[in-house]
Amino acid sequence: MLALSLVTRAKDSLYQICRGLKTVAMHTFREPITQVYPDKMPDTNIRGRLALAVNPETSEHLCISCRQCERVCPDKCIEITAHKSPETNKLELIEFKIDHGLCMFCGLCAEVCPTSCIINTNDFEMSEYSREALVYDLRKLTLSQEESRYYFDRKEIPLPKPKPAKAAPAAAGAAKPAAAGKPEEAKSESEAKVADAKAADAKDAKEVKQADEPEKQTAAPEEKEETENKEGSDKSKD
Amino acid sequence: MRNGAEILKLGTLTLVWWCIIFGAVWAACYIVGILIPMALTSYESDAARMTAETCRALTPILSVLVFIPINAMFMVLFERRGLAIFTVRLGPNRVGPDGYLQTAADAVKLLFKEDITPRGADAFMFTLAPIVFFAPSIFGAMPLLAAVTNYHELFQIANLPTGIFFILAASSVPVVGIVMGGWASNNKYSLVGGLRSAAQAISYEIPLVLSLVTVCLMAGTLDVVQIAKQQSGGILNWNIFGGGALRGLDQAISLKFSSSAPALQELSKSSFEQVLKSVYLEPTAQALGLGAGQEGLAGIIAAFAVVLLIGSIWIAYGLYMTGACAEINRIPFDLPEAESELVSGYNTEYSGIKFAIFFLAEFTNLFIVASIAAVMFFGGGDCPVPAWLGTALGGPQIASVINQALTPLIEIKLVDPPTLFATIWVILKVYSIVFFAVLIRGTLPRFRIDQLMDFGWKRLIPLSLIVFVLVVYAREFVNVHVGT
Repeated sequence: MLALSLVTRAKDSLYQICRGLKTVAMHTFREPITQVYPDKMPDTNIRGRLALAVNPETSEHLCISCRQCERVCPDKCIEITAHKSPETNKLELIEFKIDHGLCMFCGLCAEVCPTSCIINTNDFEMSEYSREALVYDLRKLTLSQEESRYYFDRKEIPLPKPKPAKAAPAAAGAAKPAAAGKPEEAKSESEAKVADAKAADAKDAKEVKQADEPEKQTAAPEEKEETENKEGSDKSKD
Repeated sequence: MRNGAEILKLGTLTLVWWCIIFGAVWAACYIVGILIPMALTSYESDAARMTAETCRALTPILSVLVFIPINAMFMVLFERRGLAIFTVRLGPNRVGPDGYLQTAADAVKLLFKEDITPRGADAFMFTLAPIVFFAPSIFGAMPLLAAVTNYHELFQIANLPTGIFFILAASSVPVVGIVMGGWASNNKYSLVGGLRSAAQAISYEIPLVLSLVTVCLMAGTLDVVQIAKQQSGGILNWNIFGGGALRGLDQAISLKFSSSAPALQELSKSSFEQVLKSVYLEPTAQALGLGAGQEGLAGIIAAFAVVLLIGSIWIAYGLYMTGACAEINRIPFDLPEAESELVSGYNTEYSGIKFAIFFLAEFTNLFIVASIAAVMFFGGGDCPVPAWLGTALGGPQIASVINQALTPLIEIKLVDPPTLFATIWVILKVYSIVFFAVLIRGTLPRFRIDQLMDFGWKRLIPLSLIVFVLVVYAREFVNVHVGT
């Protein structure tokens, strides 16, 4: 009886071993999942280093210095310097620093950004010889127009509305740009009607948010001034 | 075949490295064993003759010394790439063309690394351990040389009448080196690794030796050259198929093949049965003392004995591979160097060239174990195609064409066709076994130490004894090639 049970167990275990061997041997015919990294860059949606996008169409900086990212950052690695312009009573961005040595790439800043300015890029190669070099300043963070377009397309972020177009009749009041904005949205909505009602709602919400901004803004020239200021600050830093 | 490219790459790599290894060994043997003595014959002095003889006598050891480092380099690469394929990875493919030089670079790195002796270690023992571990794999391989080169005149000197006994004796020495290294390191992980290794090697040597003794029992000799020679003549003659138990079948079929003319059909049929009768029935009847009327019973017993013999030998082969894996500390028996438990076991404290020697010896042992299996179970340098099938497929013509093509090389004694073919078959067989060992490594998890001991003492040793007894009885009724 004992001998029989031993034989049965030996048979079973042999069978299991053979099954394992077969499984492993069959792996021979699978395609390797190794990514040949430096030769072939990984093409996945990852939360890489942070960057500030510009408007892909007009190349103006999208940051409105609202400091939401600074507030939400769990590592406190974002540091924004902005001041209120005395003429326009509007925030002007002076410096934007992100310490990538502290950042844990959670993506919360990108989540809260009302203008989709701060985004996670796909770039992850940030090796430096010192920790100080990991602190990126405004100039290093700001993407070019092409790069911004690439990430806006890739992440399917709705394009920001062209500010000058909205701001031109801004003197007349907030109602007009909002009205001008809405038909556009309606159009896109009708296009996406079949797709998803919820997404459209979300878009609407965002649209309202963005429409609120021009209300605060007073005139177009001041906006230009802001960009000039920014450029000036960049130059002064250089 | 979505992975065809990788498999092809591994194949090319293997071929290229085989050419490098065996080209180097071949060249070394040719220069020292043939060229130098030939050059010296023109001087008619005693000193010249002495030198020539010394060169000839040193050829086997030189070939092994050239072979071991290069072969170990290739085997490490082969194992890593093979394992990578089994685990759906790519493996090392950066150094040199497609990673061909990865292990060569590793070896160079190890040689230039600092050789550290830990504080509190026994420096003498610490240095002696790798030597004791490595030396047996050099001299243990000696008797095999004659067997795998078809008894080439240069390697006859390496042959021993008690070859397999010597190999087994040599293969049990390395464990002393492991224990020595583990103890001398002054490190508890190393010590535990060394002691585990001792326990494991002592337990698993018994089934290993008993399974080989079973084969020697069938062969009737301990001489590896004899054992390899007995098995010549195709796959049916190999020890894995009962050591000549199927020879009668082989002879009968070959008779049928040789007389394929229609007029001889009748005759050949009768001779087919006659051969079977004379090979299987008569010895059985004789052994049992059965009369002329009890042929049916004799036939049944003979068939049963053949099946029993082949089954026993298969089990013996399984036992041998298990014992061998344990003996050379390979997964799933790599307890002495279990990374997850003992850091790296007995070689934790070793670095530089001493570690390189441990590493070298480990892979050389794998090769030796595989070549023992090839010689003892798979016919050594024998072509697996039976003679009758080879003739039908045009084997002699192919052989003559190759011989003609090699004529200039044969004339300068660079190539000896029987040796060449024997070597090629041995390489194929040995690396098939190594490949299987890699497959096992990719599949099975490590044993726990108590499971290991249980498995060794309570399962493998009784099983090997049972197989031994079965073979002793079964070979009485079957014409195995004893004394041929």
